[in-house]
Formats: sequence, structure tokens, C-alpha cells
Amino acid sequence: MPIGAILSAVDISYIFPSGKEVFTGINISTGENEFVSIVGPSGIGKSTLLRTLGYLIPPTSGRVFLMGQEVKKPSSKISLIHQSIATFPWMTAIDNVKLALIGKGFSQDEMNDTARKTLETVGLKGAEGLYPKEMSGGMRQRVAIARALAGSPEVLLMDEPFVHLDELTAEGLRQEIYDILFNPLTTLKSVVLVSHNLDEVLELSDRVLIMNGSPAKIVDELIIEMPRPRSTRDSRFSAYLDKIYASLTPVR
Amino acid sequence: MRPVNLLLIIQLAAGATILRVLLIIVVSILTGWLLAYASIKSSIFESIYIPVISSMESVPVITFFPVVLVIFVTRIGGPLGTELASDFLVMTAVVWNIWIAQYQSFKTVPKELQEVTINHELGFFSKMRRLYMPFSMPKIAANLFPSFADGLFYITVSEVFSIGTKSFSVFGIGSLIPRLVASGDMYYVWVAMLTLAAWVAIITFVFRYIARFSVAKYGLDTAAPIRRRGKVNIMHTYQAWNTLTGPMKRLSKHFTSTFRVLPTRGSFGRRWSALSSSRKYIMIGAFLFILIALLAEIALYVVSVPIGYWGYLISYTPLILYNMAFDYARVAIITLISLVIAIFVGYYLAVHQRAAVTVFPAIQIISAFPAPVYFPLVFAATFGYMYAVFPASSEIYVLFLGFISTFYYVFYSFWMGVQTIPSEFWEIMENHELGFFTRMRRIILPATFPYLVAGLSSTIDSAWGGLMIGEYWPDIFSGKTLEVHVGLMKMLDVFTYQGRIGLAAWSSLLFAIVVTIFSLFFTKKLMTMAREKYVIEEGVYAA
Repeated sequence: MPIGAILSAVDISYIFPSGKEVFTGINISTGENEFVSIVGPSGIGKSTLLRTLGYLIPPTSGRVFLMGQEVKKPSSKISLIHQSIATFPWMTAIDNVKLALIGKGFSQDEMNDTARKTLETVGLKGAEGLYPKEMSGGMRQRVAIARALAGSPEVLLMDEPFVHLDELTAEGLRQEIYDILFNPLTTLKSVVLVSHNLDEVLELSDRVLIMNGSPAKIVDELIIEMPRPRSTRDSRFSAYLDKIYASLTPVR
Repeated sequence: MRPVNLLLIIQLAAGATILRVLLIIVVSILTGWLLAYASIKSSIFESIYIPVISSMESVPVITFFPVVLVIFVTRIGGPLGTELASDFLVMTAVVWNIWIAQYQSFKTVPKELQEVTINHELGFFSKMRRLYMPFSMPKIAANLFPSFADGLFYITVSEVFSIGTKSFSVFGIGSLIPRLVASGDMYYVWVAMLTLAAWVAIITFVFRYIARFSVAKYGLDTAAPIRRRGKVNIMHTYQAWNTLTGPMKRLSKHFTSTFRVLPTRGSFGRRWSALSSSRKYIMIGAFLFILIALLAEIALYVVSVPIGYWGYLISYTPLILYNMAFDYARVAIITLISLVIAIFVGYYLAVHQRAAVTVFPAIQIISAFPAPVYFPLVFAATFGYMYAVFPASSEIYVLFLGFISTFYYVFYSFWMGVQTIPSEFWEIMENHELGFFTRMRRIILPATFPYLVAGLSSTIDSAWGGLMIGEYWPDIFSGKTLEVHVGLMKMLDVFTYQGRIGLAAWSSLLFAIVVTIFSLFFTKKLMTMAREKYVIEEGVYAA
């Protein structure tokens, strides 16, 4: 486990109940204010890996640490944002966010204040009273992000968070997300993103981990050294893209 | 009777009872397909058919049994009349949810598939065989089990009944067991019950297989693997038995929630406006004709009853309402207990899959085993102690019978509702470390609300059935009569038993009015609320 790591997974593997080994010998660590992405072919086990990092699925073997402490159960310190945008239809935006604060010793006023501020952080000021069905997909995803942030997470796990948004909305949110996440008002220290969209990965990540093989392993690692905001027209962008493609193909 | 013959008779009687229920289910399915097709083709038919079946589903038909019996027994008579009376009662117990499920399926056939059948100019039979019938299979399969359990419950009590001093019975396990109990030969009583239990287990197993098969083969975009035709694979069969919760989970989205596909408000108006003037006049004419004929029939009937008799019936009304209030209190207690247990046990099984694999099938088999068959034995084993300790034990027995007759409906509904909660939401609950009560209050109860409303509706309905049987049960065991002091269901039983059919019919009518008002102002409102606000599937946005 690297010293100073925020989230680290040591030699983790996962075997489905059917006996199929999904991934094995995975070692991952994230640093402070680091945005790490995991890419790989479809069905290789990226989402499963993400869930084992948050202990939503316990790994078959290996251990996960959050700032040196072993993770043994799911916790709001490691928060997951889903691929399918999950908001509770009977709760308003603010109630959806407050869900992350229940049972944490806050008064009703404190919960309202925190939820309101978090909604403001994700750009939803004024939408507190709206129900999910009254919001667009982009707004719903912002609510889900606000809920995750309201729980004061140290690490955010994002499973294809923009895949169900139209391209314009996704692009807008991508441009804002880095600043939203690493805002001084949030407690967030690291982000792990799983995505198929390589442009998105290069636009956001400090480091990219490439999964391949069966059972899957981390076959390559790429540190992205480009200033933000990043442009797809930048020649370095294309060079990084080529490197990722090279590691992803052939699909093993 | 020689023991060997008796054993054979027990087997035949159990077979006859099971066959009756299965045949009635088959008849319900066949007629339901035709009615569902008619309702998707004719908006007028749909506008009448759907409110009628959804209302009938919420009315406990068993309470009209005394009146129905008289019609069948006096108008048709003989063994056929008795047989039809029994069958009719079972039909009214099983048919509604199957018909609604079929209508729901037909109504939700994807437009693209309908266009293919139009494109290839398929006729009625081809369309039914290749599109509508297969498409409705998962929903029918989901409703087979509750229909079977419900049917078995009612058939065992309707195989033998009395009107006045006359007793009527048809051949079956429901009529055989009381005779065996009366003869005091407990060995054969146990054999009969075990035989019925074996049948129930086999049918449950077959229904589960059908459920798994139909979801895998006929469900759209299901992850369940399709089983090819061929030899029965013992290993697979064993696995199927051990993964009994699997089919139920997959079926959960096919479970009938009537209100989800009821015609939308205004659709009738739009279709009506689209009709030509001549068709409108024909329809209005036909409607008026039926209405006038119906009113004339009612008027003739009312006139045929002497005014003095109407006065006599009306004088009983306060007493009937008083007794009804008592029964509503009993139903409320039974429903509340069922709900609390269903929520706790259902939640426990939902989050402990290993326990669910063993407990769930056991509960399912027990639930299909008709309570009226084994209840007299429970009574026989406990009444001495119970009445000695607590003189008002009849009340406890009646509530207990109501509970065991009905608990399962709300339990299944809740459990199925829990299964429909998307995995994303479970992960959110874990992720934010929500405690049990927070989960329940904020997520699980709202998420399962539509299912709970549907389950409670069935629970209340079946609780009336339990009360109908338990509130007045002459010769339940060894000459003893189980009866309560006050209760409408007892009144109905007693009136029928005494041959005072007019009073029984008047009580049934008053009860029907109250139940309909209750349904309109309570159940329907809850269902509308559930439909508008608590649809968990809407919480996951996946473009």
C-alpha cells in the first residue's frame, strides 16, 4: 500500500458465484486530489472492480484501504455514482440529497442548509423543490452527484456517469465536473471513473488505468500531463488516445 | 369402507379437487384472452370491461355465495347445480387477476411487434397465437400461483354446504375430509391432508417451472436463459427447486397491479369523438336498451316482493350495519398483523437470499394449502386449553383463521415489491449506511407502496373469506360449533343455514354497497396515489 495513498486496493480479485474469475491481482492506489480513470473492453469487469473498491461487492481476495484504514463494509466515505441515474421519484431534489445526511447527527436545519449548499455547488440552485420527473437527465445526474457529495466522501466512484445524457448535456457537465468535485467546499480527495468514452477519460483524468485480459488485469497505466481545460484538438490529446487504443487492442 | 378402497377414494378426491381448480384456471385463461383482445379492439368494450373486472376484483365474492348457491341449486338443481355452484365460486376467486393480467399484457404489446403482424397481414388466430398469447404468458404465469391458492381455498369450503336443512356436496377432498373427521378415523384424515399437501407441492413446483420457462422464453430482454425442449434434466430440476426464489424475482415485474394499465382518463372521450355519428347513435341506442331492460328487471323484482317484506328487511338494516362494523374491525386487525409480519419477514428474506431459498418455497406451499382443511385440526388440538384459559377464544380462532387465509397476499406483494427495487437503490442505502428504520420509511415502504396497496386489497378481500368460514362453523370438530357473538359473516351463514335467503341477500347487498364505497374512496385513492408518486422504476433514468 503506497504511503499517502487515499484509496488503495491491494492484490484484489473477484470470482462470480458461477466460478468465473472476473479480475485478479489488481493493485490500484489514488493520490490526493487525483482523478483516476479505468478503461477496458465491454464486460471485462470495470463496474465490478469499481464496486469492490467501495466494498459494495466484497472482493474474493485482497484488501481495500481508505487512507490507511482497511475498508470492511460500504461507507459514505467512498461514494458511488451510478451509470443509470438513480434518484428517488417520491423525493424532491433536496430530499434526495438529504438522504446522505440522515443518521449522521445533523439537525433538520443543518441538513437543509447542507443539502441546499451542495445543490448550489452542482448548479441546481432554485431546483430544490423539483421532483426527479420534473427534471432533465442532466439535472437528475447533478442531484445524484450532490447526494454523493453531501455525505462528505473522501473518494467518489463514478460508473459511466454521463452515458445516459445527450452529448451536449454530457459535455457541459464534463466541463464543470472537475471544478465541482475538487471544490474547496467538498471533502473529496480522489475520484475513480469508469468509462468507455476515451475522450471523456482524457478530458478529466490525471491517470488512466487500462484493463484487459481474462481474467482481467491492469495491463497499462498512463499519466496524463496536459493542462486543464483540455481540448480534443490538442495534438497531445490524440497521442494519448493512440496510446490507450494500443493497450486496449487486441481485446484479450 | 375397506381401507384400500378408502385410500383410493382419498387419492381420487384430491385429484378431483385439484382438477376442478386447474380446469377453472384454464377456462379463465381461455376466456381472458378473448376478452382482452376484445378490449384492445373496442374502446367501448374496454371502458365497460376494465372498471367491471377491477371492481369485481376488490369485492369479496364469497359473501354472495349464499345467494349464488340458491340460484344454482334451485334453478339448475341436482348434482350439476351443486357442481356448478362450487365451480362458479372458484371461478370468481381466480378469474379477475388472470383477466387483468391478460388485458395488461395485450395493452402493452410493443407497437413494433404489432406493426410486424399488420405488415404480414396476419389474421386473428395467427395474431393471437404468434403475438398476443405468447406475450401474455409471463404475466399469466405470475398470476397462476395466487389464483391456484385462492381457488383451492374456496373449493375446499364450497364442496360441501347447507341451505336450510338440506346439505349439498360434490365429490372432492373438501367434502371428504369433514366426513373422515366425523367418523373419527384420524389416520385417514392425515392421509387425506398429506395427499393434498403432496398435490400442492407438485403443482407449486410445476407452476414455478412454467413461470421460469415463460419468463425466459416469452419475456422481452430477459437475462434468464431459454430452456430448450428435450428430456427433463434431473440436475436442472433440482437446481430449479433450489433456486425457487429466482422465478419469483423475475416474475415480480409481471405481477398484476391493476391500476398500472387502466385506460387513461380521457382516452374514452377521444375515441368517442372519433366515431361516426351513425355508430354513436347505434351505441347509445344499445346502451339505453340494456339499461332499460336492466332497470325493468330490477323494478319487476322489487314489485314482486311484498311491501311488508321490504319493511321487514329494512328493519334489519341497523343490526346488519352493526355486525358489519364488528367485521371491519376484525378485518383491520388481521390486515394490520399481516402487514407488520409481511414487512419484517419480507424484508429479512429479501436481504438474506440464503434464507429466502429455503423459507420462501416453504411459505409458498403452506400458503397454497387451504386453511379450511387443516384449521379444524388446529382447533381440535387446542380448544380444550384455549377455552379454559380464555373463554372468548372463538374471537382468537376467527382472527387466526382470517390471518392464515390471507397473510400470504400482502407478504408476496411486499416481497415482490422489494424485488423490483433497482440494485442502484440498494447500493445507495448501503453506501450512505442508512439504518433499518430510515431504509423502511424513506425508501422501501414508498418503493413497495403500489405492491402493498395491491396486496392489502387482496388481503382484505381474503380476510372476509376467512371470516365467512370461521364466524359460524357448525360441527367443526366432534359436535363443537365455532361461532362469534357478533359478525356480519356469521349472520350471512346463519340466515343461509336457516333458509332465510331474503335476509341473506339483503345483507349481501348492503355489504356490497359498503365494500364498493370503501373501494372507491379508499383503495382506488391509494392506488391513484401509488401510480402518481411511488413508481420506483421511474427513479432510474437510463436514456
